[in-house]
Amino acid sequence: MVRVRAVLNAVWRAVRRGQGSFASIGTNNFFLFTAILFQRQGGFLYLIIALLMLFPLSADPLRKIPRERLVLWPLDKREWWILRVLSPWLNPIMWVLAALTVWAVRHAVTWPLLGAVAGLFALGFVLSDVGGGAWDGLARWVPGRGLVKKNLRQMISTLDFWCALVLSIATFIYRFADRTALPEAFLLMSLLVMLALSSYAQCLFGLDGEGGLTRYGLLPLRGWQILLAKDIAFLIVAVALTLAINPLAGLAAALIVLAVGHDPSVNDMRPQVRWRFSTGAPLGNGVVQVFGMSIAANGVARTSVLLLIPCVAAYAISLWWFGRRMELK
Amino acid sequence: MITCRDLTCKYGDFLAVDRLNLDVPSGSICAFLGPNGAGKSTTVKMLTGLVTPTSGSATVAGLDVVRDALEIKKRIGVLPENLGLFDDLTVEEHLDLTGAVYGLTRAETRSRSGQLLRALHLEHGRQTFASRCSHGMRKKTSLAMALLANPVVLFLDEPLEAIDPVTAKTITDLLVTIAKRGVTVFLTSHILAAVEQFATRVVLIRKGVVAWNSTVAEVPGSLEQLYFDLVEAPAAEDLAWLGSARS
Repeated sequence: MVRVRAVLNAVWRAVRRGQGSFASIGTNNFFLFTAILFQRQGGFLYLIIALLMLFPLSADPLRKIPRERLVLWPLDKREWWILRVLSPWLNPIMWVLAALTVWAVRHAVTWPLLGAVAGLFALGFVLSDVGGGAWDGLARWVPGRGLVKKNLRQMISTLDFWCALVLSIATFIYRFADRTALPEAFLLMSLLVMLALSSYAQCLFGLDGEGGLTRYGLLPLRGWQILLAKDIAFLIVAVALTLAINPLAGLAAALIVLAVGHDPSVNDMRPQVRWRFSTGAPLGNGVVQVFGMSIAANGVARTSVLLLIPCVAAYAISLWWFGRRMELK
Repeated sequence: MITCRDLTCKYGDFLAVDRLNLDVPSGSICAFLGPNGAGKSTTVKMLTGLVTPTSGSATVAGLDVVRDALEIKKRIGVLPENLGLFDDLTVEEHLDLTGAVYGLTRAETRSRSGQLLRALHLEHGRQTFASRCSHGMRKKTSLAMALLANPVVLFLDEPLEAIDPVTAKTITDLLVTIAKRGVTVFLTSHILAAVEQFATRVVLIRKGVVAWNSTVAEVPGSLEQLYFDLVEAPAAEDLAWLGSARS
């Protein structure tokens, strides 16, 4: 049992450290601003956030130790079984599930709810073991070339993209299900989609890692060219997700989100973990992003498409300025 | 082809490279040797534009490393210390990206990539994402990227480490061949016996200061002995518990 306890201790330490990466939600614009603006009315949005986070949170704790290392340790069959049975309990979601089961027995929660959470947990648990191949398949399907293709792949490996996708699909269905829906509703939804993506624009280089940043330094490209490749990927996603809602408002909002987000992306490069919500910049930058994109999207949707011109100009100035900053760094 | 004059790099109070003076002529293979933390990688970073020198000057292919950093990048190939790969691109996509950035046509890129992948025994892994490659495959990918655009100067940070013997031989033969065609090779390594076989110039560095700088022919005795004498002697720790009765 000494060996099992030592392994479980190591796994527990790794799980605890890994869970620190989920704290990124605390600085994510989507979570912060929906909490501030919608408060108790934001139930549906909180549910999306919770369900999306449930997948990575459900990962098998034993995955924290490289399989090659695990099989090298001199554990006998009985110790393996003990490890297999006990290790899931190092995951806090397992305890939540246990509590839900107790409440279900006492009729405090319904059995279908327990079943849904247990099912999603099991799916997340299994996917953490076999999901790598599925991700490779999805990543290969991404269109484009070179840096833009890479940036698109990075973007879809954050929960921000999937949150925006859920909102976009929900709005798309609503649009065709209810023909009497007000156009203002679609403007608001396109802003929500952009809000979900906005924190990613604040940490554009978060998933490149040390190797990627070194490569950027070696490529014979100007700073603005590297930044532009990031932005093209962002704009493709932004326009695609708002295409059936309000694409021009979405484009205006995306340009402003990028123009403001370049500052923390370049000056305060923070590492990002895959399958988490993006780590946002300090609140001030998020506030400017949200105000700016609201004004831009409203202006383009309600006043004139020509208001896209100042949005493009603001974006171009930001691209040039922070491209230069990149070169100086 | 590479010149350094009092080249210095400081990280805060730590002096990584101290007034380095160096001349590496065109077509030579310069082995830059020293223990971990001696300043080898920092020197490579300064010469390739990744780190700005604190003082002094350096030129690569006749261009100033600070003023003409972008022009230098167009003329050199680099195998950096951390390999500089993107987890989200496959081996082949890395080469496609390099070809596009360095202005090669798609046909040229495909043709050169195919040859490099064959030469470096990387063909089977061309569709593998860098994040799923072994360390050796990642190193070979980075090396292929360094060679693809036909550079005039090659900077290789530990090119032979974690490479299988056949590929290592392929690489060293390749370096000798291209050096004869006028390409300058500047490399760091810990494998002294291998370096001694193909390098034309040896520079030993210790704590940021050059301890030896000559052609390989001028090295007295073996390179390994010179290294132990001037740079660092092997540790004499006796781990008595190793191999004794188990407790």
